Amino acid sequence: MSTPSYVPWTEKHKPRSIAEIKEIVGEAEYIDSFVSWLRNWKPGDKAALLYGPPGVGKTLLVEVVAKEFGYELFQLNASDTRTEAALRRLVGQSSKTVSLYGSKGKLIFLDEIDGLYGVGEADAVKAIVELIKESRVPIVMAANDPWDPKLRPIREVSVMIEFKRLRSSSIIKHLKKICAKEGIMADERALKIVAELAEGDMRSAVNDLQAAAQGKKRLTVNDVSWLRARNRQYQAFDVLRMLFAAKRCDDARNVVNSSLLDYETLMLWIDENLPRQYTDPEELAKAYYYLARADVFLGRMNRGQKWELLKYIIDFMTAGVAMSKIHPYRFTKYGFPQKILLLAKAKGTRAIRESICEKVASKCHLSKRKASTEIMPFLHVMFEAPGLAKRDVSRWLGLDESMEEFLKKHR
Amino acid sequence: MAFKEELPALWVEKYRPKKLDEIVNQKEIIERLKKFVEEKNVPHLLFVGPPGTGKTTAALCLVYELYGENWRHNVLELNASDERGIQTIRERVKDYARTVALGDVPFKVIILDECDAMTSEAQWSLRRIMEMFWRTTRFILIANYGSKIIEPIQSRCAIFRFSMLSKEDIAERLKFIASREGVKLTQEGIDAIWYVAGGDLRRAINLLQAAAAYGGPVDDVTVYKVAGKARPTEVHEMLKLALKGDVLAARQKVYDLMINYGLTGSDIIRQVHTEVFRLDVPEPLKMEIEDLVAETDYRLVEGANEDIQITAFLAQLAKLGKKMAG
Repeated sequence: MSTPSYVPWTEKHKPRSIAEIKEIVGEAEYIDSFVSWLRNWKPGDKAALLYGPPGVGKTLLVEVVAKEFGYELFQLNASDTRTEAALRRLVGQSSKTVSLYGSKGKLIFLDEIDGLYGVGEADAVKAIVELIKESRVPIVMAANDPWDPKLRPIREVSVMIEFKRLRSSSIIKHLKKICAKEGIMADERALKIVAELAEGDMRSAVNDLQAAAQGKKRLTVNDVSWLRARNRQYQAFDVLRMLFAAKRCDDARNVVNSSLLDYETLMLWIDENLPRQYTDPEELAKAYYYLARADVFLGRMNRGQKWELLKYIIDFMTAGVAMSKIHPYRFTKYGFPQKILLLAKAKGTRAIRESICEKVASKCHLSKRKASTEIMPFLHVMFEAPGLAKRDVSRWLGLDESMEEFLKKHR
Repeated sequence: MAFKEELPALWVEKYRPKKLDEIVNQKEIIERLKKFVEEKNVPHLLFVGPPGTGKTTAALCLVYELYGENWRHNVLELNASDERGIQTIRERVKDYARTVALGDVPFKVIILDECDAMTSEAQWSLRRIMEMFWRTTRFILIANYGSKIIEPIQSRCAIFRFSMLSKEDIAERLKFIASREGVKLTQEGIDAIWYVAGGDLRRAINLLQAAAAYGGPVDDVTVYKVAGKARPTEVHEMLKLALKGDVLAARQKVYDLMINYGLTGSDIIRQVHTEVFRLDVPEPLKMEIEDLVAETDYRLVEGANEDIQITAFLAQLAKLGKKMAG
């Protein structure tokens, strides 16, 4: 009974009641704190600020509690235009008017308030604070990181409720339930891998499960092994962000410790993304000076087995790169090291080229490298030219069709 | 003759001399080598000199004349830059030296080409290998630069320095080949080949054959056309992009060169060195770039990851480009 692919399991298998949530996470203090805040709220009281890492159920709890207690939910999140004006409108529309019939009242929910950014940010914070003070209905907010100094005015008028990362055992319990409903026989170890990679984030665990298990009758360790690689990629992006944003040498140097990537792989990631992060040639040149220094020392270390040089390699590639910035850190979209992808993609043509070089080398008393630089360019020209007896060359070198094709088409 | 196989289709091979006497120039060297053949006594040899001056050819001619038809059984050709380290060289030499030489020459010959590609550690091992098998084998070591060969090896070898071929030498050989192949080669064609290839006979012959492949006479126009095509334009574009400040696009060219042309970082930097002087930038800037090229070339040898060094070079270029723009 596999489901149609367009229903996200995060929606389909969402807990619908407080009881169902408690079934997954057990008795949790934050649930009770939130419920009692809402129950006892009266105009003039503090707002509630739910905070914690993504995918631990902040939004879900607000939705479920509102439903169970009969509140009408007014929701705004980071994807909405969060300018001061938008908030003012919200104040006008909802907070001052109270429904007379049908529901107990309204609950204003501002999701992802740490995502406040751009023009009018300070104004937006001010508007929220005013909204909280004037509101005649309860206001609840959610954030991943509420400790940004800019959010301080909001913290001062809010009850802080912390959500912790979910335990692996809680996640596994929920994943098992989903598998049962979907008719999937899941290997316990596979679920454990999914749960552990999620690092306490239920949403990502359920998404991963769906990606790996949908349409299957059985879920084995093999079905989930690719998740590891993908996670490492996310990890790399975070590590790069920390590195490029670092303002002190030590912060940059520590990045290596917090990374799953080994230093050589990390170096490739830095190499790939340096020109994206640093666009001013001045800082780029300086950063690359350090990265190239790191590379020189890597060569020296590898050749001479001088492992004690590793510390310099790491200092150059992290602190050296981070301290080269002139302009403040700005958000940048990073990419996977292209060289790895390109080399993989070009593997076929490269193999053809290499075997041509090999043949030339053995016939012409040359190394493959010299065959590549001394003879190959001329072979290309000869194969492109109309007059050459290509067949003779092919036969003499022992080229097959794909090699001839390569020599003709390549330019 | 010992060469019954099909005639080579590439002229560099087809017209590679088979006898010491046919070698272009290098007269004194040839005389001495002929003495070794007569006496059937060859010391370890070290041939040094620029590319395309006949080092490998001289080694091959020597063994052809020494062993005649049996040469294949008595000669091992190795290339230092192809072998995976000194360990494999040692293994191959050991296996090879175990069997006795065929015929009336009491030793076998190992030709080891491109020795200057070896690290000095590897050369020290090579020295020991030479020592170990001296009863049964002679080495002919070939390198571009004698100075890159460690002293203890130099002192165990008779050293022969191959000199750069003159324009007359090159012209004579080219005319000979052209007449054999029925190709019309003009004086302008010869001048152009000399301009492009200098004293490198291998490159000169390759140019001649590629130009002849267009069917018409080989004149300066066809030669420059071939030379232009044989030189990847990516290097030039890469430099221009970097100077404009687009390091990402410039790096894409580096990947193209590495993947499509199979060039190594050193190959690219060598190309850069010639391209720098063709760039449309103020003359003093060319020297600033050249300074960076030299430093990068050196670092490529020391570093681990070639494209990091090259991208670092491109980033420096972007900085220079920004300075130039004001």
